[in-house]
Amino acid sequence: MEFSFNGKSVFVPTDVIAGWLSVLIITPIVLYIIIKNRYWSTILDYTTTTNHRKIGTLYILFSMLFFLRAGVDALFMRTQLLTPENEFWVFQGEKYNELFTTHGTMMIFFVATPILIGLMNVAVPLQIGANDLAFPYLNLVGFYLFLTGGTIFFLAFFFNAAPNMGWTAYAPLSTDSYTPGPNNNFYIFGLQVSGLGTIFAAINMMATIIRLRAPGLTLSRMPLFPWATLITSFLILIAFPVLAIALLLLQFDRLYDATFFLGELGHPVYWQHLFWIFGHPEVYIIALPAFGIFSDIISNFSRKNVFGYTSMVISLTLIGLLALMVWVHHMFTVGLGAFSNTFFAITSMLIAVPTGIKVFNWLFTMRRGVISMKAPMMFALGFIPTFVMGGVTGVMLSSAAADMQFHDSYFVVAHLHYVIIGSTILAAFAAIYYWYPIMTGKILDDTLGKWHFWLFLIGFHLTFFLQHLAGLDGMPRRVYEYTQEDGVWSYNFISSIGAYLMAVSMLFFLWNIIKTHRSGAKAGDDPWDGRTLEWSVPSPPPEHPFERMPVIDRRDMFWWSKINNKPLPVAKNPRPSPIARRTFQPMFLAGSLFILSFGFIYGWVWVQILGGILSLSTFVIRAFSDERTEAYKREEEENEQ
Amino acid sequence: MSSKLMSEELFADKKTGFFIYLFVEAIMFTTLFATYLIYTPPQTGPYPGELFEWQTTLFASLFLISSSGTLLLSEKGLKERKMKLIVAGVVITFLLGAGFMYFEIEEFRKFITDGHVVSTNNFLSAYYVLVGLHAVHVTFGLGWMIVLLVQGRLLPFNLFKEKHKIFNYYWHFVDAIWIIILLVVYIPYLF
Repeated sequence: MEFSFNGKSVFVPTDVIAGWLSVLIITPIVLYIIIKNRYWSTILDYTTTTNHRKIGTLYILFSMLFFLRAGVDALFMRTQLLTPENEFWVFQGEKYNELFTTHGTMMIFFVATPILIGLMNVAVPLQIGANDLAFPYLNLVGFYLFLTGGTIFFLAFFFNAAPNMGWTAYAPLSTDSYTPGPNNNFYIFGLQVSGLGTIFAAINMMATIIRLRAPGLTLSRMPLFPWATLITSFLILIAFPVLAIALLLLQFDRLYDATFFLGELGHPVYWQHLFWIFGHPEVYIIALPAFGIFSDIISNFSRKNVFGYTSMVISLTLIGLLALMVWVHHMFTVGLGAFSNTFFAITSMLIAVPTGIKVFNWLFTMRRGVISMKAPMMFALGFIPTFVMGGVTGVMLSSAAADMQFHDSYFVVAHLHYVIIGSTILAAFAAIYYWYPIMTGKILDDTLGKWHFWLFLIGFHLTFFLQHLAGLDGMPRRVYEYTQEDGVWSYNFISSIGAYLMAVSMLFFLWNIIKTHRSGAKAGDDPWDGRTLEWSVPSPPPEHPFERMPVIDRRDMFWWSKINNKPLPVAKNPRPSPIARRTFQPMFLAGSLFILSFGFIYGWVWVQILGGILSLSTFVIRAFSDERTEAYKREEEENEQ
Repeated sequence: MSSKLMSEELFADKKTGFFIYLFVEAIMFTTLFATYLIYTPPQTGPYPGELFEWQTTLFASLFLISSSGTLLLSEKGLKERKMKLIVAGVVITFLLGAGFMYFEIEEFRKFITDGHVVSTNNFLSAYYVLVGLHAVHVTFGLGWMIVLLVQGRLLPFNLFKEKHKIFNYYWHFVDAIWIIILLVVYIPYLF
């Protein structure tokens, strides 16, 4: 659409206008709901608290909002690909590039990663008997960094500047010689800010698991979700700093005319190495917590302890280690030589071994168990075959010679959706149904949950199974068009129908949440007859629920205390808990970084300076308002007496 | 089951977290070292051997490395709870750190006035990002020391002690990175 503004004519695509219109419509509705129900105090409570459960809930809430946005992108893509030579709305050419870039980046960085961090926040401290994460203030900072990064990336579309170089940002396309303008700067700063938040969350999780376990809860007695969290945190600590530096170098290329990844002197392949040294561990960063969640859920709903606990832990560790040495399997076609391809093909295939061990252990956990088919368990059961299929295509792709054919085709698209949706997204749904009582004190409707599960699972397989075949028939990824003669119409048509079905299933999920919120029954304590410590506290748990700290002397201690009718023993003199506070400082930091990022994205130096000063001032404010001051003073006074 | 003071337990938490953070920093610098090694020596000039001057590097290193030593004075004061020694140690460390920054900025200024900027070639790009990030860390440390001096007056001693110790880990870490920079960036091209 053309507008004339100050005598200049400005072109704005209709989808951006539709985006702004939807904001104008939705904002008053949301405001009306907030005002009518007097939610202000709840909002104030959640946005300034350092309580792990509330921060976790916020993580999950905003991840779900980003999930809707990225899901709508997916629906637009599937609609554009519905029929041969389709012309749906504006989504051809560059616009389609923007669609798949936004979809991929959002789903990985602002959905899969934070939703799992949110679930860790909700469950891990309770599962290990900690009253909060080790650094509650840092936890809130981490959340705000994720939200700021996500918002920066989200807003790009509204300024008609959505990133358009693919979620992998391959150089030299991602340098300013080929994609000038602010578009891809949004990618850099959105990821840089949220990546820092992820690093902080990982530091927090790791320190919490090392330091704050309940007395007697040795690592060998820890449930598998905290174990997965520990290994995942380790992977984050290695992968995300590499991404941060890669983005910094790309920023120098784009903003300050360096040529790291460009031209005759630069090495575009170096970007690929850096990106995948981050990117491959990232795949396991979002898969391992899912494994942990499913281990806990399958054990709980089979009323049996996890089969092969030790081998589960060992295979988690092995997957974590192997994850760090397989990145070149994304680059088989680059031409790094036969030795390199062989080495990375073998390490990639090796990952199937520990993963296979886990799959068998899940099956054996269910064997002779008393299985109850509740919604979380359904998702876990749907996960196993789905993920195994993704794993099988994964082994196919790891064969370097065959990958020359598969590379950049829809076969890869099908594979990655099978593993990521199959593990992360199904686990996120399972965990939301499972831990909803902990988050809100209410329990989600099981029947609607099953509708959600079946529609989602059927829709998922309809969408992605046929993409294998389209890929084998030679359909490349990232194309907005195909012809009648290509012979992939039927695959694409059915695939799109499947995508709509998944969208419908999400409506059931939304309706379930609204319905539960309006009239849902109180969950009561321990609604699933749980095995691990998070169910030994009331739902929702109060802040600092382990005032009476339990002493643990075996795995699934809570379950055995119920069976033997003996209450959990209480520690006499437990270690002190982290100190909670209310604070606006992280919000202030978020605003400052937002200003700083926009300064860089559009190259406004004064805005950069302002944002920089504001961001740094947060450190000073923080330095003189430490929440521990009072407690330390009190301790010193007591000691003097 | 804890026989330790609250402040000791919470400090141990913080120490664990901060060491993990330093691990993250180490990975970042490792990536930058790799970047520097890949792009140096460059295919076209200027070459590092033509630009670096041993005097600047030597003085900068003397200042920064000795500042790690003077910080030990402050740590001794921390153990004996002597505020004067603590302050003296931090002030001397600050001055030495500022001296280091003088030589750093001098080096950057000289390169830039000679027309050797970020976009000149890949060696210089890598050099500016790596050494620049280190200089940013030192500058941040200088600001931190000013904050620390004020905190010494305001905070309960145990909390101040904790913050001081965390700063010490940071400063020694930044020093260690400088030594690796010396070994990787400067020394191979000075002789």
